[in-house]
Amino acid sequence: MYRYDEIDREIVDARTAEFREQVQARLSGALTEDEFKPLRLMNGVYLQLHAYMLRVAIPYGVLSSEQLRTLAHIARTYDRGYGHFTTRQNIQFNWPKLVDIPDVLDQLAGVEMHAIQTSGNTIRNTTTDPFAGAADDEIADPRPWCELIRQWSTVHPEFTWLPRKFKIAVTGSPEDRAAIGVHDIGLKLVAKDAGEIGFEVHVGGGQGRTPRIAAKIRDYLPANELLAYLTAVLRVYNLAGRRDNLYKARIKILVESMGADAFTQAVETTYRDIRGRELALPAEEIERVSSYFVPPPAGAPDEAPSNDRAFLTWREVNVKPHKVAGRAIVVIALKPYGKAPGDATAEQMEAIADLADRYGRSEIRVTKEQNLVLPHVEAAALPSVYEGLKAIGLATANAGRPSDIVACPGLDYCNLANARSIPIAQAISEALEAAGLDEKAGEVTIKISGCINACGHHHIANIGLLGVDKKGEEVYQLTLGGIADGDAAIGKIAGPGLSANDAIDAVVTCVQVFADRAELGETFIDTLTRLGHEPFKEAVYGA
Amino acid sequence: MALDSTRQLTLDPVEIPAERSPEDALHLAAGSERVDILFGSFKDGRGFSLAAHLRKAGFTGELRAVGPLLPDQEGALKRVGFDTVLSDRIDAGGRGVRVPFESVYQPDPTGGGTAEPAYRQRALVARGQHADALAEMLEGASPEAILARTLEEYRGRIAVLSSFGSEAALGLKLIADIAPATPVLFLDTDRHFPQTLQYRDALIERLGLSHVEILEPDPEEAAREDSDGQLYARDSLACCALRKVRPLNRALAAYDAVITGRKRHHGGLRGSVKAVEFDGERVRINPLAHLSASEVSERFSALDLPNHPLVEAGYPSIGCWPCTAQASAQGSREGRWAGQERTECGIFDPEPGKRAERAKSVRLI
Repeated sequence: MYRYDEIDREIVDARTAEFREQVQARLSGALTEDEFKPLRLMNGVYLQLHAYMLRVAIPYGVLSSEQLRTLAHIARTYDRGYGHFTTRQNIQFNWPKLVDIPDVLDQLAGVEMHAIQTSGNTIRNTTTDPFAGAADDEIADPRPWCELIRQWSTVHPEFTWLPRKFKIAVTGSPEDRAAIGVHDIGLKLVAKDAGEIGFEVHVGGGQGRTPRIAAKIRDYLPANELLAYLTAVLRVYNLAGRRDNLYKARIKILVESMGADAFTQAVETTYRDIRGRELALPAEEIERVSSYFVPPPAGAPDEAPSNDRAFLTWREVNVKPHKVAGRAIVVIALKPYGKAPGDATAEQMEAIADLADRYGRSEIRVTKEQNLVLPHVEAAALPSVYEGLKAIGLATANAGRPSDIVACPGLDYCNLANARSIPIAQAISEALEAAGLDEKAGEVTIKISGCINACGHHHIANIGLLGVDKKGEEVYQLTLGGIADGDAAIGKIAGPGLSANDAIDAVVTCVQVFADRAELGETFIDTLTRLGHEPFKEAVYGA
Repeated sequence: MALDSTRQLTLDPVEIPAERSPEDALHLAAGSERVDILFGSFKDGRGFSLAAHLRKAGFTGELRAVGPLLPDQEGALKRVGFDTVLSDRIDAGGRGVRVPFESVYQPDPTGGGTAEPAYRQRALVARGQHADALAEMLEGASPEAILARTLEEYRGRIAVLSSFGSEAALGLKLIADIAPATPVLFLDTDRHFPQTLQYRDALIERLGLSHVEILEPDPEEAAREDSDGQLYARDSLACCALRKVRPLNRALAAYDAVITGRKRHHGGLRGSVKAVEFDGERVRINPLAHLSASEVSERFSALDLPNHPLVEAGYPSIGCWPCTAQASAQGSREGRWAGQERTECGIFDPEPGKRAERAKSVRLI
């Protein structure tokens, strides 16, 4: 993985020092709350329902074991012993004190981490395929490009006061495990016949109040022109994006109101004006950054046979093929039955860091499904990894299965939420376990958002729940047919709002219909496409 | 956007609210010495992009950011092109001097600015080190060996610069034998001898060069700076800047390495040319650097290469017709800018090169 050089270190240190002074200026009154708010947000500090929340950037979801141990230490020292991994491949601490935050940031800087631009109307952490560099279907590794974007977007002088937040995702696989269709900019690595690589550029996707799938605005951008093109998109947006209405300020609204063609033309004109030597990525720098992301060596040739049925099930469900022989990708689902999705305790983080050191080249990934991944495990060590995960309660064989539920923090933490998410996820998870549906049903995604901001990604869930406030009551809308990866799609509302209990039953019922009626090997979407929405609606709402 | 010549030059600032479109802002700023961009709120980022846009379009007057801006924003405002920030919040609360970040990840929109972005700093250091290593490795190597190695090393980002002058055929022949699709850059100054153009076309044909880029002066610049076509007589340096240095700089933007035909025997600034050099931005490869005039001529005969028609007529070095004279010695550059102090057009001379590069920033306004 990438390591900082002197320049990287200097910039993160300077930023940490700058924020320390800003916190002081707020405490002394030199900065008003209105002035301080965007400054703290762009350093990852939110004011939540009960306390400040610190969101730490995990650049493109890649962590070293050392960094994970530091997160564990922060959880134990400054929080209540746990952290919450998010759908944007970051981690949130829910209970730090404002005065402690500069110290936390110093400790993060010590392991080449930061909380820069994890919030605010800025360019946020770039997200990517959690299997990057390991997946066997990859055209090119997206991580070097994510790192180049991370650097370019960090403390950008022109793009720190955007109309609204801005999210970029990159995929290196045609499979697209990064959901590029629902990002402000989605970049897909493509190869030309001659072997040169470049990007297909999608702009204007997003979830939230107005879910939109991004428009493709360019078929091929030479890879070394990436920064010039991103600058052009951001400049057009920064100048023309709406600032009068918070709900209409994302780039998806601008693309829609201008029309994709006119928007594309504005970007292309700006791009032609600004491209040149200064914004071109030099071959030497692409090579330098890429050199940090070389594939691991092959693992031992033989995987010992096992007849432990629980292990074999876990291996079948949670282990994915690696592009290098003798290695495997292990998904650690942070979804034990009945627990809060995405939470990990300090002890769990430390144990995972140890497993990564022992069997997986000290590397960990965070996924947008709120899971962790050991991307480079020695296949021969899979039984040991399984035992190690079992010891910390994280060996549930449910990656990609119904109980692998995504949920935002919801009303239990978030001051934007209208409804609870985590307790609903916990209840659904318990009911699915009781009904044995993880074993009976195939691939399906369930995602829950506690408000229209859609942090729980319900729009792109096969089965989604959206919590809304209806005259003081928590009501849930059920959506069906959303798709996150590949050909992204927005789910359709299935019927009237449901009470919390009915919503839990409704989700379980939909999974039951899927389990009962799926043909061999079908995913939920396959079955839904074949049968239509009716059988599901009927089971939930009656005839 | 055309120059707004009707506007009076004045020191009264032109005020441009941040919500104006970039086209409007450019129009309003044209011809003005001082522009104030008015920010309604410190959260309004539009002014940052407006400043970047104006600077990129060539606005060189004073640019001031006016509004309730925070001291925390001053560094970024200056980086996007503002000279001054006028805000009553700048000194509020006695927060002391803000220390700007020493290193940056982004280029300044003006292209000049305080510091190179990290990616360029790192790359230029690496490029220079690599060039030094190549120079050492190729010390004393044959032109063929130098070309084979560097054409491979910089494949896709290397070009050849050729005047199609008296000695050009040799280097081009060696390159064509290895990689005939290598881009060849030719500066069509519109002041060449017709014989040079004929010779150019004949050589392209004969050697099978499949990628020749003809670089011409920018027509708008030419109309403005040399409307009567007599600039060479008034100011030959300016003429070279218009017709050679700037067109070449534009074309070179796509390349990290350039092959030249410079040789030590040309004397002057060329007396110490090495086979591989780094000019701070690009690697220059001079595969023929150590050949003497007679070695060049021997190789011409051995390879049966045609001579430039003007060589027979007594021109040992051939540039544009107004500034090229006959001279005695073979291979000599005596006939170039004869009677002037100069010996170079500027494309290899860092100072005029930089001046011409800067000059492009007055393109629009």
